[in-house]
Amino acid sequence: MKVGVFICHCGENIGRTVDCPKVAEAAGKLPGVVHSVDYKYMCSDPGQNLIKQAIKEKELDAVVVGSCSPHMHEKTFRKAVEGAGINPFLCEIANIREHCSWVHENKDEGTDKSIDLIRYAVEKVKRNEPLTTIRVPITKRAMVIGGGISGIQASLDIANAGYEVVLVEKEPSIGGHMSQLSETFPTLDCSQCILTPRMVEVYQHPKIKLMSFSEVEKVEGFIGNFKVTVRKKARFVDDEKCTGCGDCIQNCPIKKKALSEFDENLTTRTAIYVPFPQAVPNIPVIDSEICTYFKNGKCSMCVKVCGRGAIDFEQKDKLIEEEVGAIIVATGFKLYSIEKKPEDSPIKGYGEYGYGKYKDVIDGLQFERIASASGPTEGEFLRPSDNTVPKKIVFIQCVGSRDEAKGFSYCSKICCMYTAKHAMLYKHKVHDGEAYVFYMDIRAGGKMYEEFVRRAIEEDDVKYIRGRVSKIYEENGKYMVKGEDTIAGVPVTIDADMVVLATAMIPQPESKKLAQTIGIPYDSYGFFNEVHPKLRPVESSTGGVFLAGACQSPRDIPESVSMASAAASKALVLFGSDFLEREPIVAKVNENICAGCFYCKKVCPYNAIEIKEIPSKNGKPVRVVAYVNEGLCQGCGTCNATCPSKSVELTGYTDAQIFAEISAI
Amino acid sequence: MTELKNLVKSLLEEGKVTKVIGYRMYGENNTKPYIAVTPNDAEEMVLNTDCRNNLSVYLTKKEIINGGKTGIVAKGCDIRNIIALIQENRIKEEDILIISAECKGVGAEKGSAVYANKCVNCSVKTPHLYHELVEMKGSELSQPKDKYTEAKEKVLAMNSGERFEYFSNMFSECIKCYACRQACPMCYCEQCIADMSIPRWIESSATDRGNLSWNMIRAFHLSGRCTGCNECERACPAEIPLSFINKLMYDTAKEEFNYESGMNKETPTLIGSYNTKDNDNFIQ
Amino acid sequence: MQTEKKTVNQFEPKVIAFVCNWCTYTGADLAGTSRIKYQPNVKLIKLPCTGRIDPVFIIKAFEKGADGVLVSGCHPGDCHYNAGNYHARRRWIMFRKMLETMGIDSNRLHFSWVSASEGKKFTEVVNDLINKVRAAGPFKSYEKINKEYVIND
Repeated sequence: MKVGVFICHCGENIGRTVDCPKVAEAAGKLPGVVHSVDYKYMCSDPGQNLIKQAIKEKELDAVVVGSCSPHMHEKTFRKAVEGAGINPFLCEIANIREHCSWVHENKDEGTDKSIDLIRYAVEKVKRNEPLTTIRVPITKRAMVIGGGISGIQASLDIANAGYEVVLVEKEPSIGGHMSQLSETFPTLDCSQCILTPRMVEVYQHPKIKLMSFSEVEKVEGFIGNFKVTVRKKARFVDDEKCTGCGDCIQNCPIKKKALSEFDENLTTRTAIYVPFPQAVPNIPVIDSEICTYFKNGKCSMCVKVCGRGAIDFEQKDKLIEEEVGAIIVATGFKLYSIEKKPEDSPIKGYGEYGYGKYKDVIDGLQFERIASASGPTEGEFLRPSDNTVPKKIVFIQCVGSRDEAKGFSYCSKICCMYTAKHAMLYKHKVHDGEAYVFYMDIRAGGKMYEEFVRRAIEEDDVKYIRGRVSKIYEENGKYMVKGEDTIAGVPVTIDADMVVLATAMIPQPESKKLAQTIGIPYDSYGFFNEVHPKLRPVESSTGGVFLAGACQSPRDIPESVSMASAAASKALVLFGSDFLEREPIVAKVNENICAGCFYCKKVCPYNAIEIKEIPSKNGKPVRVVAYVNEGLCQGCGTCNATCPSKSVELTGYTDAQIFAEISAI
Repeated sequence: MTELKNLVKSLLEEGKVTKVIGYRMYGENNTKPYIAVTPNDAEEMVLNTDCRNNLSVYLTKKEIINGGKTGIVAKGCDIRNIIALIQENRIKEEDILIISAECKGVGAEKGSAVYANKCVNCSVKTPHLYHELVEMKGSELSQPKDKYTEAKEKVLAMNSGERFEYFSNMFSECIKCYACRQACPMCYCEQCIADMSIPRWIESSATDRGNLSWNMIRAFHLSGRCTGCNECERACPAEIPLSFINKLMYDTAKEEFNYESGMNKETPTLIGSYNTKDNDNFIQ
Repeated sequence: MQTEKKTVNQFEPKVIAFVCNWCTYTGADLAGTSRIKYQPNVKLIKLPCTGRIDPVFIIKAFEKGADGVLVSGCHPGDCHYNAGNYHARRRWIMFRKMLETMGIDSNRLHFSWVSASEGKKFTEVVNDLINKVRAAGPFKSYEKINKEYVIND
């Protein structure tokens, strides 16, 4: 191999403390080096031309440039050598500026060290192999998992940019938690009024394929090329035939056996039902757990009244495969239920607040339903136990959040705001009512947020008490809320008619399972992890999988929507090119010697190692070996270092290359 | 409890296994590995305090494991290797049938009145993964001298230069015959890096430097995997006390990670997993 | 920091540093851009990740005549590849114990986490190792067992 060495002076930057001509002269004597020169500015056009010319004239096979850090100009020089017909990966940089001339003052030492660094690079480059950039085609189609406000926003953004979207929602309707809310802070506009048009837009969008009552079962492939298997759960209603007239629901005799999930268990629903009137799609589902037909076959009222013959008791779950290039995970949250200690959890729970025991001790979402004009009380403030107007309500913040001992360490973030909103809504409707809020701190960071909380306190006379509540008990028909006012330093007891607990937002219970299915990391709480908390907040560490909304950490609506649009734009960036170009620094398996111990698979941070069967001539598998999925491999080389027989090697950093560098000492 | 010979016989007769890897007598007070293929072969089978070999080494041989379900006679210590091999995808549990026994320990060598060193402080005399139990025969043995602690104290008293000399001398006896590798159930690579020429990981001739590297790399590749069966040491014709360095790595795994190889097939392997709270105090 | 001209026979340690591309290599770049001076006896071998560092590289470095070896990468939790450094650390714990017992002075083998922003720390880590190696003197152990043989690669 004929190596050419090019030493840059970088003006005075290298030349001042390194005798560049001397380095070039010494490099010229290294074995394999046939050409060695120095020049004032190697990265300049004339400098690059010097390299290109030498490659042609001296028929060089490889190039070493002694210059600044490869992080500065490796690309420049690789491009230059490529221009002269050499594979760009046959160019190595010896960093004689940042790692030498700038940090050593003695010129002899600097010169000697530069010669050493050149020698390392020459020994390495002699073992470099030509590599080609990896090009992976991209399926320009996205899947959005979760049809809450985040998923809706992401779907619409991508679809409006002209790409197909598959939106998967596990519930019968999209809309998520936002559809349950009454008004939204800090503007107090009606939640459904702003959400419903978006839901309809999703439904009618020609580029969006909505798969409601469906769940992701399996994810294969990698960035640009995912194959997702979705389970479309049996609705027992043919969505092609159903017109959403609602006759079946009206006539269903099973009216009281199931609590309405949408109304947070405050009302009941029928066996055939839509979660709420504005549901999208407006196609009912049969709850086979309570439906009489499924129990004993005796009732088929819905079949009788359906003019379209849409009821289909024989319907089965369907597995549908979708090919997509990007996945946006927007599975949202649920509220931490405090009535009992969660299973497999170190969390102790808040039995002393009597949630689940006292009917009028409710959580934030239940309060939203009570406050909602479409809710069980049609917006009138009536407490669940006796349908009377509560005259005194206590709101308790940070239930389950910011409490390492009994709940979760993190701040649930939205509760300060929605509690202020709740208290305000209550005061707006029950003018003679009293509202108390127990809080730890008020965290109202956000546009018009602090002003909103001040309004609740100053204009609507909501009484804020700094302190925690130790106990709630019933006495003379009142709920006695015992707490401490830590500012006044006195214990307080409030005889409330109703108590609203701002319980912590937690990830959906299946979030860990989903994370494992997709192959994305999650934190100890089960929230999905972004790859970089500051600079890449909506990307998961798995290429092509993006995060939006409260599945990543507690988020309010504006933040969820921002994240969703950001995630959508990340997907669109991906769709902006036909191929994904990757540096070819990836691991490669030598199948002849791989013993199939799969230590590589255990250490791979990207699940890029797969199991490959090597069949014999008659097609029977004789042994298994590791196989690297180049689309997933990010080139860390941990597999290479772990492999005992060195059957997997990282291109660009092979053992032979590194040994050569070591031996050049 | 079933008698070993009858058990092996019926397993083979009923076709529950296609062969049983076990032991047969080999002169007085000595045994040899033996593979029973026909029901008649079962007559030769024994399990006693002279069954020193760790037969799990045969489980990684394709010609053996590929031909249908394999029965294997395994003492508790050998079962540890079987578990380790399951953890490393070498064998599938459903492909083997483990015949084990409450272990009495094995003699250090032919005719020896003391245990082998590996039996000292054994925690798996009662087998921890098996399908059939039989009885182990043989006479009671007594404790051997604890050579390891003695050697360790000696090494720890040395300065680093002396230690280096001690070990390079120890390994200078090595003739690179790789008997240690052959005997080890965990050394199953298709091609060992010792045999690799591009790049040359280990000098192939028996130089002191190459010997030292070979022995270091061998021990490192087994760290967190070696179960301490000492087959390498037994196989070494140069009588190098290989168990020292193996035991050092074994103890380190136990001290640092509370990890012992081959105890539980569900535990993630030591190398191949990590804990964010792993010891960090040696890192600047 | 040594700036005066060295006397002819003074021992100058050879130190090889195995560093990851994203943190320590970049940290060393930062030391450069910040013009923080340090002793020139170290040469960096750039790898994508500490996860790529096979402990055998360290043996090789000593075999080939290094007097000291530095291994350095991203802090726990900051790995560019999420977990490469965690896997590496586990190997180091095992490997270090072996080398120490077998006579490779821990003053000659240092491990560190140096982030891309820790240019100053990089120079301190390097100077510290070089000073310790300088004090310990040339690493002659391998030389002794090498001398009779011709190195065949």
